Amino acid sequence: MKTRAELAVLVDRLRGPLREFVRESRVRMAVLVNASGQLLAQQGFTRGYEVTNVASLAAAAHAAAAALADMTGARRWTHLHNEGRNQHMLLAPYRTGGSDLILVAIFDRSTSLGIVRLFSDRLGDRLAAIPELRAASSVRDASRFEEELEGGVRRVMGESA
Amino acid sequence: MTEAYERALESILRVDGVRAAILVDAAMGVPVVMETDPDVDGDAAAALAAELFRRTARGAELAGTGELRTLQLAASEGHLLVAGAGDLLVVALAAPDAQLALLRVEAGRAAGALA
Repeated sequence: MKTRAELAVLVDRLRGPLREFVRESRVRMAVLVNASGQLLAQQGFTRGYEVTNVASLAAAAHAAAAALADMTGARRWTHLHNEGRNQHMLLAPYRTGGSDLILVAIFDRSTSLGIVRLFSDRLGDRLAAIPELRAASSVRDASRFEEELEGGVRRVMGESA
Repeated sequence: MTEAYERALESILRVDGVRAAILVDAAMGVPVVMETDPDVDGDAAAALAAELFRRTARGAELAGTGELRTLQLAASEGHLLVAGAGDLLVVALAAPDAQLALLRVEAGRAAGALA
């Protein structure tokens, strides 16, 4: 199977677990992006947000947090929580065979940080069971994989829009 | 302040059959201080207990029964007790044969001291 075809399958496979996460945790919206900031899946009330900007900023926050974790000896961060006046945002990274995936979840007072964290952990378990994410580790040339991923995501997102 | 929180849990942990005692941030659903058996997922217990308390409190409000103070859930494998303490919740998990009456008293006292 070619990489683009694999990516189309991967994007399709992410949809179900993310939908379940949104339903169970009652977040307003959730997106999954890769470490390059490319949007792979979105669920919930995403229309109120510039999701591509959210994706890019999430990747930047992930990179900054990872660098900070390195500097402080914390090694790897498990989640990042921002509390606003009316809304909260949780970022959680998931290590996969290839690039890290990052969950961005925006929620309000209809749920709680504890619940969102709990179900984000379960989402991580479901993602770990996706064969296409494990198989990504077989791609040796990471930069080429990223390029193909980017092209594939554009194509898949364009097709589904 | 952390010492006061830990003291609040000590009396609960002395009750026979208690498997976990957790002080939970009620709004966030995350543990502030906790002592649990190794097989208890304290983070999950805190999140779910806070959610249950919040929903039950809403139900009590709608039913006109006033402010929810304590909540006890009995299940085949044990008991969950949650007592409101202002912005905090006192959460206890206990085995089916735990001394529930004493646990209720101690959880109530801890909540009263923290509220």
